[in-house]
Amino acid sequence: MSASFERLIDGIIDALQSHVVPNSSDDFVRGQVFSAIYALNGLKLAADWKAAPLLEQVRLQDDTFAAVRRLADGLVHPEIPATPRTQGDMPDVAAIEALRDDGDRRLGQLLLWASGEGVRAVNGDVATEIEHLLRRAICDQLKIELATTPKSMLQQIAGGERDGGAAPG
Amino acid sequence: MLEAAKRSDDVRDAVPEPARPVVVNDDAVRLALAQHLSRISGSRTEIVSFGRKSSGFSWITYAFVARSAAEADRKLILRVGPPNGLFAPYSVLPQVYALQALANSGVPVPALVSSEQDGAEIGFPFFICAHVEGDVPAPWAASELDADHRRAIARQFLEILASLHRIDPGATPFTSLQQGEQRAELRAISGWRASLARPTARYYPLLDWGGRWLHDNCPQPLRRTIVHGDYRIGNFIEHNGRIASILDWELTHLGDPHEDLAWAMMPTFNARSRKLYGVLERAEVVDLYQRASGIAVSDKSLAFYEAHALYQAAAIQMCAVRAFEVDRFNDMRLAVMASQMPSIVRAFERALEAAA
Repeated sequence: MSASFERLIDGIIDALQSHVVPNSSDDFVRGQVFSAIYALNGLKLAADWKAAPLLEQVRLQDDTFAAVRRLADGLVHPEIPATPRTQGDMPDVAAIEALRDDGDRRLGQLLLWASGEGVRAVNGDVATEIEHLLRRAICDQLKIELATTPKSMLQQIAGGERDGGAAPG
Repeated sequence: MLEAAKRSDDVRDAVPEPARPVVVNDDAVRLALAQHLSRISGSRTEIVSFGRKSSGFSWITYAFVARSAAEADRKLILRVGPPNGLFAPYSVLPQVYALQALANSGVPVPALVSSEQDGAEIGFPFFICAHVEGDVPAPWAASELDADHRRAIARQFLEILASLHRIDPGATPFTSLQQGEQRAELRAISGWRASLARPTARYYPLLDWGGRWLHDNCPQPLRRTIVHGDYRIGNFIEHNGRIASILDWELTHLGDPHEDLAWAMMPTFNARSRKLYGVLERAEVVDLYQRASGIAVSDKSLAFYEAHALYQAAAIQMCAVRAFEVDRFNDMRLAVMASQMPSIVRAFERALEAAA
């Protein structure tokens, strides 16, 4: 993220906090302003790290696919993509995000399969192991997203709370 | 349809354009409201002190005073279901049935004044009810209030819930909302699953898997009652130390009473505390509720509905994201809800583990 971009967002936040919030007694308006400040803080984080955490999620998914492939050897299972799915530099954030979303769908199919009656009748122990592996991996993926999520401002957002301030970006 | 509901894309060219926001024009709503009240009262009615209230993420709420020569000023509330709102398309029926069926019962509700499902005059489904004096306590402000005061309110809150669950649903219009043969509890889960499966929603594998688990493991209720559907701190009006009115009946349905109990105890609605209103321990809540309702609480069912509550919360967040991103409902609060998803989904996974 460029310095000018960061300055621009900081400036908008400052203007909203310093000038708009103190001069509005309408709770709905204040809720809107706090929400906008929250969104701008999120934008700052996303601009810095958007590609990196997405790639981290895709790589985590790839590791999971590889582990499931090993465990599911000999079982009839949903298609597992060949890994790694990323080649060299992938500067296009939208393309990485599409890979991540596709990976999520495939992980979901595998999780539904591993927890289904069919595979449990064939090999219940392995199915349980795969299910736990998938759940753990998906939760780890969520942790990556949480690291790029700004602190909650639900309190100020929902009610336009008068004494609240913006969470630090 | 009146001006209040006019879409900016009502006139379409040959080339399809992206959806544009439906504008709920407050001035047009006010004008239509005056016409509606004049018609139903038979006396020309003027609308004064008209303003939008902040509360609520779904229906748009207006407070106003109805003034006419025929009677004294009346402080009223108008609630409008916008076509691009959180749970659109809206039905006024659950709210209207609740306000009608619960009038003069042990469950305090605002008096219903008028309603229209087709929204012919205002342009959207709407209902009007009496203004109730008092304050709506914010769940997150609980820690700022006196503990004894909160304890008294929390006890009333549970007694009212027990009163609601004691009502014979067969004697209320809610039975008419029953559709098809599927159990009411399963139909509710199916509805949230369908909502999460909409192609415009981001796919969360744990929600897909967990939705199936909830559907396959939903306990048979020992007793099916009226379920408020959003019974929590923040959905009532308090006045002089008493709960004067229970609000927001839009998700009301027939189902398992554990659903309301689990929803009310979610930390999100209790200033992140595991205690109800930050003061009543879980065991005390269960004990008070059981004694007041005569309904035995099952640990297993309660654990199931605690997971269900998080699943529903996730589905509601996704409805909010959709309302903002796809239907272009311009409330910035909806936009930021997406960022809550990772923490809710993780909590849901843990709750499922506890319920399994």
